[in-house]
Amino acid sequence: MPPVDLRSFPFSAVLGMEDAKRAMQCMLVNPNIRTVMIRGGQGSAKTVLARSVGRICGKNIINVPVNVSEEQLFGGMDIDATIKEGKAVMQPGLLSRADGNIVYVDDVNLMDQRILMSLLNSVIEGRVVLEREGVSAEYTVDTMLIATMNPNDSDVSSHVLDRFDLCAYAAFPQEDDRKAEILRRNMDFQKDPASFVSLYKEEEDQLISNIVRAQKILPLVAMSDDLMGVSVELAMKVLVDGYRGDICMINTAKALAALNGRDEVMKKDVEEAAMLCLAHRRNYVQEPPPQPPEPPEEEEEDDQDEEPPEDQDQQDQQEPEPPEDQDNQQQEPPPESPDMDFQQLLDDMVFEIGEQFRVVDYLNDGPRKVSKTSAKKGRRMMVESSDSSGRYARSRVPVDKTHDIAFDATVRAAAPFQKGRDHEGLTINIQKQDIREKVREMRAGCTILFLVDASGSLGVRKRMTAVKGAVLSMLRDSYVKRDRIGMMAFRRDSAELVLPPTRSVEYSYRKLEEMPTGGKTPLAQALITVNEYMTSYSRSHVGEMCYIVIITDGRANVALSEGANANEEVLKLAEDMVIPQVKWIVIDASAGFIRFDNAEKLARALEGTYFRLEDLNADRLAESVKAVIR
Amino acid sequence: MEKLLFPFVSIVGQEDMKRALLLNMVDPGIGGALIKGEKGTAKSTTVRSLAQILPYRDTVEGCVFNCDPSRPDRLCPYCAEKLAKGEKLVPEQVQMRVVELPLSATEDRVAGTLDIEHVLKTGEKKFEPGVLAQANGNLLYVDEVNLLDDHIVDLLLDSAAMGVNYIEREGVSFSHPSRFILVGTMNPEEGELRPQLLDRFGLSVDVKGDKDMEMRMEVVKRRVAFDADPAKYTAQCKAETDGMREKITKARELLPKVVTDDSIIRAIVSITTSFGIDGHRADITMMKAAKANAALDGRTDVNKDDIRAVAALVLSHRMRRRPFEEAAFDTEELERCLQSI
Repeated sequence: MPPVDLRSFPFSAVLGMEDAKRAMQCMLVNPNIRTVMIRGGQGSAKTVLARSVGRICGKNIINVPVNVSEEQLFGGMDIDATIKEGKAVMQPGLLSRADGNIVYVDDVNLMDQRILMSLLNSVIEGRVVLEREGVSAEYTVDTMLIATMNPNDSDVSSHVLDRFDLCAYAAFPQEDDRKAEILRRNMDFQKDPASFVSLYKEEEDQLISNIVRAQKILPLVAMSDDLMGVSVELAMKVLVDGYRGDICMINTAKALAALNGRDEVMKKDVEEAAMLCLAHRRNYVQEPPPQPPEPPEEEEEDDQDEEPPEDQDQQDQQEPEPPEDQDNQQQEPPPESPDMDFQQLLDDMVFEIGEQFRVVDYLNDGPRKVSKTSAKKGRRMMVESSDSSGRYARSRVPVDKTHDIAFDATVRAAAPFQKGRDHEGLTINIQKQDIREKVREMRAGCTILFLVDASGSLGVRKRMTAVKGAVLSMLRDSYVKRDRIGMMAFRRDSAELVLPPTRSVEYSYRKLEEMPTGGKTPLAQALITVNEYMTSYSRSHVGEMCYIVIITDGRANVALSEGANANEEVLKLAEDMVIPQVKWIVIDASAGFIRFDNAEKLARALEGTYFRLEDLNADRLAESVKAVIR
Repeated sequence: MEKLLFPFVSIVGQEDMKRALLLNMVDPGIGGALIKGEKGTAKSTTVRSLAQILPYRDTVEGCVFNCDPSRPDRLCPYCAEKLAKGEKLVPEQVQMRVVELPLSATEDRVAGTLDIEHVLKTGEKKFEPGVLAQANGNLLYVDEVNLLDDHIVDLLLDSAAMGVNYIEREGVSFSHPSRFILVGTMNPEEGELRPQLLDRFGLSVDVKGDKDMEMRMEVVKRRVAFDADPAKYTAQCKAETDGMREKITKARELLPKVVTDDSIIRAIVSITTSFGIDGHRADITMMKAAKANAALDGRTDVNKDDIRAVAALVLSHRMRRRPFEEAAFDTEELERCLQSI
C-alpha cells in the first residue's frame, strides 16, 4: 500500500452511489471486467469516487485528459533519445504508465471518438499496437479504465458504450439530509484531511481485505446453468446487441458472489449484475413510445415512476428490470400545457414515411445544382486544424514559424545531409531547412438539425408523408456523409428535441416514423427553442459547421404575445436571429396550386437558402431541367 | 507473454462470416472480406483467431517484404537484385500472419519511409518497410475500418488495386510487392464505408447476434470457460484447430484442379444480371469464391450448392441499397437463376 494519501477522499466516505461502488469493486475482483463507466450529472461526486478507488486497491490512477493526443496516449518518437542515438526511439505514452494501474477519463464523451475507441480496445485487449511517427511497437498493458460522463452533454455512441463492461448511474441526492451529510464530510475532509482519512481507515481496510478475499474466491465461484440461462434470457429480453452483455453479466455475478464471500452465484447476484451490465446496452426499441401524445392520466403515473428508487435496497427488487435511461433530458421535458386541447390530441395522426429519393446538395448550393458525387462529400468531415489540436496526419515544410514540429519527418529530412555537417559532438545536426511541421486534422464535422413542422396543416392531403420522405432522404444523405444529425419537431405550442444530434441514425428512422402530426403551428416558439439550443450547441462544438433545416409551410398560427400577428412575429424574430456558425435552410412544404409565400419570406428573413420540397429530389429536378431545355 | 486468442473452431454459429474468411484463405485472389454487424458479435475475435488456422506458405528467407520465391515477377528490389546476380532465393516455410493496422497509424508507418538509423550511419538512403510490407502475403486486418482516415484508406486502395506499394516521400523512391487478404470489420451505426473501399472487398457479411436461446447459452458458456482458463481451453481445441488448418491447406492444393462447366458460368452471369450488378468484378469474384468453396469441400467440380453458399457474400454489398432498409437478399431469385444448371 502507498503511504496515506491525503489528496483523495476515502472511498467509503463517499455517500451513496452504491451502484458505482459495486461496479468498481467488481472490476477490481474480476480481471475479465476491465472497463467501468459512471454516468451522472454535475456534482454527483462521480469524479471524487473514481479518484478514491486507488485507495482500496493500491493502484495509481492515471488521469487521461480528454484532449489527449494519440502521441501522448499511446506513444510517439522520443526526441532526445532519437538525436542522441541516431535512430528512431520510442517515447512511451501515458498508457504505458497505466500498466498495473487504473486509467481514468473524466468527461469521456468529450474525447475524440477514435482515440477513445483505440483506448478502449487497448485496455480490453491488454496491448497497444503502435504504428506512428516512425515508431512501430507493440506492448502489453494490464490496466483498467474508469470513465465518467455527464449524460446531459452529448452522449457517446452506443457502439462505444457497449465497450464498457459495466455502467453505473449516479444520481444527485435530492434529500436535504443526505446533501447536508455530504457537505459536512466535505468540509471535514478539507479542514483536516489526515484525521478525516484516519476516521475511515478501519472501513477502508475492511474493504481492501474483502476485495483481496474475493479475488481468491473468484476462481472457485460456480454458477448454475439455470442462472446462466437467466442471464442470457434477461439480455435477450432487453434486446442487447451481441454477446458482451450476457458474458459481462456472468463475470459480474461471479464477482458479486465472491465479494459476498460465497463460492456460488445466487439469483440476487444476477439481478444486481443486470443493473450494471444491461441498462446501458438495452436497445431503444424497448423504450415506451415517445412521450408527447400521451393522455395526462398516464403522465401522472409516469411522474411517480420517475421518483428515483435510489434508497431502496436493490436486492429487494425481484424483477431486475434495468433502470430507464433517466437522463435529465427526460426528467425535465418541456411540460405539456395542462389546458391542452383534448380534441386535438385525439386528432393526432401518424403518417407513414413517403417516397425517398436522392437529394440535391441543399447545404452548399442553390436549388439548381444536382450533387453527383455524394461520396466525395464525406470528406468534409476532416478539416485541417490551425492550432495543435487534432491528430497528426502528415508533415510538411512550414510556411511560417511553427511550434508544432513533426520531429520524425524533421530528422528524416536532416538525415541525408549529416555527412557534410559539423556535428559538434551531436549525432544529428538539424538546420532550419530541415524543419517539418505537423499537419493536424480534426474531425470537425457538420451538424444538421432538422426543424420539422408537425402541425395539422401538414396533415392535409397526406402532405406529412411527403415531408417524412424528404426528411428521411436528407437523413440518409447525411448518414452517408457522416454528418451529425438531430431532429426537432414543433406543433401545438412547443418545439421538442426529438433526436439530439448524433452520428448514429438507427434511432432516427423510428423517431421519424412515430412522429405524430396535428395541432397548431407554433413557428415563433420553435425559432426561440432552436435558437437557445443551437447557441449553446455551437459553443460546445467549436469549429463545427451547423445547419438548421426548417421544413414548414411557414403558416404560423400561434403567437407568442396575445393578439399579435403570428406570422409577423416570426419574421421579426427571424431577422434578429444570429447563431454563430449556423446556416439556415428553409424547405417549403406547402402544397397545392395556391402557394403561400410565407416560407420564402422566412428564408429571406433568416438570410437562408430556400427550397421547395419538390426541388429536393435530385432525379426529379434533373428531369424538370431537361424538360425545360427541350 | 502473448495473450491467447479464443479458438476459431470454438466460435458458435456465424457460418457466413467463417465461410467468407475461409474462402479467402483458400484463394487470396477473392479480394478479402468486409464484416459488418452489430456490436459484440465476435467480429474481431473471429478475425484475430484466424492466426491459429492460417496455412503455411513459401517466402524468401530473411526478406522483410515477405517475397514469394515462386513468383519472380513479384519481387522486392532486393530479391530481384539477388536473382539478377544469379544468386538463389532460399525458400522458407512460414505461417501466414494476421497483420493488424491500428486506427491510429500514420502514413509513414503504413507505407514505410526513410530509415533514419541507416542514413545517419552510412549516409545512404534506405527504405524502412511499413505495415504494407509486413502485410505482403499475409492477412491485413483493419478493425473499425469505417473510421480509418481517408489518406490511409487511399494507401490501402492503391496497394490493394495493384499489389504493389509505391513510395515517393521524403526523398525515398521505392516500390515493393504488397498483396494481402484485406479484412475489415465495422459497425455500420458508426458511419458507412467509402464506396471505393467497399468495392474493394471481394466478399461481405452482415453479422447478427443469435436470437436463439440455446445458441446464445452455448456462446456465453464457451466464452466464460475460455476466460476462466485460456491455456486449458486452447489445448482442448488443439486437434480441431490443426484439423481446420489441414483442411485449408488441402483446399489450397486442390484449388488449381477445380473446374467449372459452362452451365456454371452461365448461371453466375445470369445471377449478377438479374440482381442488377454492373461490372465484371462480381462475376469473377463469384467464380473464384465458388471454386474455393468446392475445394474447401474436397471437390474438383463446382456445383449449385457452391453458388448458393457464396452468392450472398459476393452480392450483398454490391446491390443497390435502399435507404435505411436492410438489403434483403432475394433467395427466390437466386433459385430461379440456378434452375438452368
